Amino acid sequence: MKNFNNNKLNTRYHKDIIWRLVVLVIIILVVTLSICSCNDFVEIDLPSSQLTSNGVFEEKTTANAAMTDIYSKIRDAGLLTGSATGLSHLLGNYADELDFYGSSQNAAVVFYNNSLIASNADVKRLWDTSYNQIYAANAVIEGVENSVNLPIADRKQLRGEALFVRSLIHFYLTNLFGDIPYITTTDYEKNSIAVRVPDSTIYNNIKDDLEEAIQLLPEDYFSTERVRPNKYTVYALLSRVNLYAGLWSEAAIEASEVINNTGLYVYEQDLDKVFLKESTSTIWQLAPGFSGGNTLESETFNFTIGPPPLSALSANFMAAFDPNDQREIHWTKAVSDGSTTWYHPFKYKSSNTGSSVEYSIVFRLGELYLIRAEARAHLGDLLGAKEDLNKIRNRAGLEDTTTLSQDEILDAILQERRLELFTEFGHRFFDLKRFNKVDEVLSMVKPGWDSHDVLFPIPETELKLNPNLQPQNQGY
Amino acid sequence: MKKKSINKAIKIAMYPFILGCYLFFSTGQARNRLHILNFQQQKLQVSGTVTDINGELPGVSIIVQGKSTGTVSNLNGFYTIEVTVKDTLIFSYLGYKTKVVPINGRSQINVQLQEDLTTLQEVHINAGYYAVKESERTGSISKITSSAIEKQPVSDVLATMQGRMAGVNITQTTGVPGGGFDIQIRGQNSLRANGNSPLYIINGVPYASDPIGTGINSAVLPTQPSPLNSINPDQIESIEVLKDADATAIYGSRGANGVVLITTKKGASGTLKFTSNFSQGMGKVTRFMDLLKTPEYIAMRKEAYANDGISTIPSYAYDVNGIWDQNRYTNWQKELLGGTADVTNVQSSLSGGSAQTQFLLSGSYNKQTTVFLGDFAYKKGNVYLNVNHESENRKFKTNVSVGYTVQNNNQPRVDMMREAVSIAPNAPALYKEDGTLNWENNTFNNPLSNLEGTYEAKTNDMIANINLSYQLTDDLQLKSSIGYSTLSNKETTANPSTRYNPAWGLGSEYSSLIASRADRESWIFEPQLNWNKTIGKGKLKTLVGATYQSQKGNQLVQYASGFTSNSLIYNLASASNVYTLVSEETEYKYQAFFGRINYNWQEKYMVNLTGRRDGSSRFGSGKQFANFGAVGVAWLFSKERFLENNTILSFGKLRASYGITGNDQIGDYQYLDTYASSGVNYDGVIGLQPTRLFNPEFGWETNKKLEVALETSFLNEHIFLTAAWYNNRSSNQLTGISLPGTTGFSSIQSNLDAVVQNRGVELTLRTVNLKNNDFSWISNFNITISRNKLIKFPDLESSTYANQYVIGQPLNIQKVYHYTGVDPQTGVYTFEDVNGDGIISGIEDKTTLRDFNPKYFGGFQNQLKYKNWQLDFLFQFVKQINYNSTLFFGVPGSQSNQPTAVLNHWQQAGDIAPYPIYTDGNNSAAVDAYYKYFESDGAISDASFVRLKNISLSYNIPLKDIQCMVFFEGQNVLTFTKYDGADPEFKSAGYLPPLRILSAGVKFSF
Repeated sequence: MKNFNNNKLNTRYHKDIIWRLVVLVIIILVVTLSICSCNDFVEIDLPSSQLTSNGVFEEKTTANAAMTDIYSKIRDAGLLTGSATGLSHLLGNYADELDFYGSSQNAAVVFYNNSLIASNADVKRLWDTSYNQIYAANAVIEGVENSVNLPIADRKQLRGEALFVRSLIHFYLTNLFGDIPYITTTDYEKNSIAVRVPDSTIYNNIKDDLEEAIQLLPEDYFSTERVRPNKYTVYALLSRVNLYAGLWSEAAIEASEVINNTGLYVYEQDLDKVFLKESTSTIWQLAPGFSGGNTLESETFNFTIGPPPLSALSANFMAAFDPNDQREIHWTKAVSDGSTTWYHPFKYKSSNTGSSVEYSIVFRLGELYLIRAEARAHLGDLLGAKEDLNKIRNRAGLEDTTTLSQDEILDAILQERRLELFTEFGHRFFDLKRFNKVDEVLSMVKPGWDSHDVLFPIPETELKLNPNLQPQNQGY
Repeated sequence: MKKKSINKAIKIAMYPFILGCYLFFSTGQARNRLHILNFQQQKLQVSGTVTDINGELPGVSIIVQGKSTGTVSNLNGFYTIEVTVKDTLIFSYLGYKTKVVPINGRSQINVQLQEDLTTLQEVHINAGYYAVKESERTGSISKITSSAIEKQPVSDVLATMQGRMAGVNITQTTGVPGGGFDIQIRGQNSLRANGNSPLYIINGVPYASDPIGTGINSAVLPTQPSPLNSINPDQIESIEVLKDADATAIYGSRGANGVVLITTKKGASGTLKFTSNFSQGMGKVTRFMDLLKTPEYIAMRKEAYANDGISTIPSYAYDVNGIWDQNRYTNWQKELLGGTADVTNVQSSLSGGSAQTQFLLSGSYNKQTTVFLGDFAYKKGNVYLNVNHESENRKFKTNVSVGYTVQNNNQPRVDMMREAVSIAPNAPALYKEDGTLNWENNTFNNPLSNLEGTYEAKTNDMIANINLSYQLTDDLQLKSSIGYSTLSNKETTANPSTRYNPAWGLGSEYSSLIASRADRESWIFEPQLNWNKTIGKGKLKTLVGATYQSQKGNQLVQYASGFTSNSLIYNLASASNVYTLVSEETEYKYQAFFGRINYNWQEKYMVNLTGRRDGSSRFGSGKQFANFGAVGVAWLFSKERFLENNTILSFGKLRASYGITGNDQIGDYQYLDTYASSGVNYDGVIGLQPTRLFNPEFGWETNKKLEVALETSFLNEHIFLTAAWYNNRSSNQLTGISLPGTTGFSSIQSNLDAVVQNRGVELTLRTVNLKNNDFSWISNFNITISRNKLIKFPDLESSTYANQYVIGQPLNIQKVYHYTGVDPQTGVYTFEDVNGDGIISGIEDKTTLRDFNPKYFGGFQNQLKYKNWQLDFLFQFVKQINYNSTLFFGVPGSQSNQPTAVLNHWQQAGDIAPYPIYTDGNNSAAVDAYYKYFESDGAISDASFVRLKNISLSYNIPLKDIQCMVFFEGQNVLTFTKYDGADPEFKSAGYLPPLRILSAGVKFSF
């Protein structure tokens, strides 16, 4: 009956195993349930790559990083980037500075042909990145406001810079799109139904912001390099804003605020040194994205063999130089394939060779002299106007201006602005608009020019998503 | 810290459980064996041969009734088994009627099994946490098995399902191997474009299907690579798709878009079996567009300049200003996309085992080259092991499977499709005589410069799972599923300076590389208790279970530029600048309790209740938990007395279900208000940027599903017809609500009280047209007619969606201009000025609606067998509209090739023509109108098609001792369509369409 014993053993074994298993199951269920009773299992920690928004503005270093990131964004994308997708290149093609030679698939083609449509992706990108930069500036303003521990000096510095950035971007947007919303909050519920306000209101908002920023920002630069805006950078922008608004005396006074600070700003006489990163006539410039880097402009405009891979200065533009104008030699460069010669802007000469020589300059003294000349001319101070204009002309190796009447002087200033400020963030296009000459000049040289091209279309998706932005700009 | 310790506690709790099970049961088996050997007294050796009508039948399972002994017939149908005189043998084999034979003292029993058509109703369908007999199923589940999957020369699992399942719409997004598929089960439920993926479960383990890699790093693919690529179709035993509430509610928050259950193959008991399969095929682009030849093109360009009033052709118009040879002609589609992709597939497997333990070990290798010029290929290698064990008393069962896949994809950095159709036909040669790229004195943007930089993706992937179950008592079973998966993906896109025109004078300091790395790791633990009991005349089946799941991911994307040499481009250390574009970690945790109560009264009336309580870390505090559930009922009316023994109706079932499922596909951490590093340097500081517009309040999206279905079969299962009607409504829409750019972002995560309805009818018909000893012919037909509709959208008019959606219309509509022909006076496209303001402008004039959802789709599949021959073919059909070929081309007259249809264009006042005046771009009215044409119904045409999706012919070579089959397979073989674009099936314009693949191979086993 050995078999029987085995059977019994087996039964006992089975009882045994069941008993043990039941215990195990109970243990597991107890452990499980104890975990489940609280909902902790699905609570997760903040990922190591993120900080809470409140936390960012409690510390000086992180709050500062939130601000500098906006400058990186301005440098790399949107309106003021020196890359081929920024205004320097696109508006150069849109107006009469550049001719486009690149691939017919390139986004710049429709700018060159003045055939923008409301669904154009690049117009939308300019719009979206700009408002993203404005959002980031507003987030700094609100973060600083709600901060408990941030020292007062840093609060002033960051709020001042953020107000400056907000004004700067709105300024360019209104000159491109006309009436636009002026965004002063991060509240998406408000911003998604924002309405377009007249450009006069925008200018008033810009001026309010800039005047406050002047109060907040110190005279000195934040660091050794002029890459963060100071009080005078705000004056420079305010001076330009008032010029555009036709407030001549304000424009002149603010220009003088900068020009007269000879301790900080010395007018650089050497054309080859104007765009160096140490230039003393620089008011504000954008630092490169990595140490040893140079400007994106040099990558966009410079080429060594023709035909040009992207854009080259138009023949019409090159013809505008006086034979003695040294800027033609120092600020443009000829490239020839033996039969044809092309010229490219050569203000920025250094590419990525490993050491930083040039930064992308947004405000410089040259423009302020031209602003003051124009303001003075309008105010009737023709002598003062000519004096400022000659500052620019003499440096370029030209004689004093021979103009006499106010109109002649203004025409000379427009011409000088063209030759001095070419391919710097679309000055030419905005000047033609201001002088009411955009149709007259561009319809002569641009077969695709229509008078409605004076404004860009509001991106179509914007109109879809926010019907308050209607109506579309004329002609689109 | 607390969370981590709990996490740990669970893991710790799991170990003793698994370990315990193994320890107890392994010793148990040893003792059991001892016991069985001694228990039998009157031993008897029975042997015999199992046959069917055609001959010997291998692999038949033979078990002793009520005992744990069993065996399997060998290749010759022969079996031998040790029994006692009073035992009874049960012979069973899938697709055959089970035969019960008492031994009655005999020592030889030969058996012939009858093929059983009715067994279709007996097949058990995998419903995830439980299995259900086809006839007693209360939910809506579609299934395909390995026999259909194996006949397709494709490497992606979703491709195998195309056209074969009602309600499942699958489109291939690119013909480049390693790309992805779009799948929608019963339509678009979520307003979120990327919130409509089904849940994938492989052998019980959820598999994250969110795309891997980064969009910026895979420009050659229209969508990011899908992790599903790592599943090898050859190793799949079956795919079940759960569609209605009854089937999906047990998956709760993740069931809204349907569930795809993938079951891999298992070993079979019997002698060691070796199977090997080799096939070699070739892939070609299915069709090219008809484009202008050089003389027509040159004429067009000259006419354009004449129209524009430009007499001196500009210096940059190289194609017509004499710089390029105007007599040269290249068919660029043929040149750039006309190659043949080699498709190689090798697979081998070894399986075998005893009645208690079976194993399957298999390995496979796929390689597919491309139709592009250059040496590019997608390679996939895979090993897979499955071990099955059950104790001799059949109480303890375990199944372990481990699969490891390596994928290596090497492609050009961009798809050449767009360039192939747009390059001027007289553009110069690609190469100079010395073999280097020809830039034609810097006038030609050589398309092959794109081949200088390559896209490479390497993905390693492991999926492992263990299923354990123990029968505690006759009624009570404890089950547990433990799964682990890990995936690592590396992608690089190299942009060496050699890809630029040498005119730019750029050296390796301008070379750049995007390198990304993504890792994903997840584990899941699902204990489950099943309790079954016979109560009255019915059977009660219940289960309760819990789920703990954790998934961690991290991603690093870097951009490097300024290399010291192009040969060091893959070495980040040789770059002078390295930016980190993305460096992020994500964690997803998920917890749930689920249950099912099923009552089956006399196999006539069935009620199935399922439910789930879900918690997900994707929601903020207080919003993490929600309940989901469903009820399903079925009535087998053919079992009622009045229909019993009916000669026409052999089976009839009416079933219905209603329930609530959810959707949490919104990405992790969306409820947090945070700043993250931008990785970008300014003045020595790495920036911090706002991550998103935040909303901590959002919760689950809910999806209510209703289905009523009738399943019938006639004439002894020769005709099997099912009709299902469903109506699903998704509400509490969890969307990234699109916001205008003025908010600083493009969207915000939020719940919207909008309702989306998907309603449709699915019909399937299976007919056995002919069946006798030598010949059989079976057809399967399925069709889905569906309608997607936006039912409710509060304040749509004033919302940001005002111009995107229309209440009462599908989500997938486009509001477009109404095209009214070419103006006979000006030659410019014209459109209806709806508001009559004299301008054709965006919103007011875009009032024509076009629905891009398919009206209906389906497939018609046939299987014919004649002796050793078998022919399978599948026709897929879709009724739909799509953007036509116009979308590929620039303004007619500009420096871009055009379809030949453009020859029929406007030339002078009075002309009535379908195409507009030629212009190089200076006629701004024509250009404006041309771009508006893209946004009009003129650019949308019928894209319906019927396609011979798959054909397979095989022949079994009658050999002794070895099974050998030769086969021929084709995919996308023939297409019937009026569509003038590249391919009617897919929707990513500008990317390579799916290829036609023809392949031949041999399979043998012994």
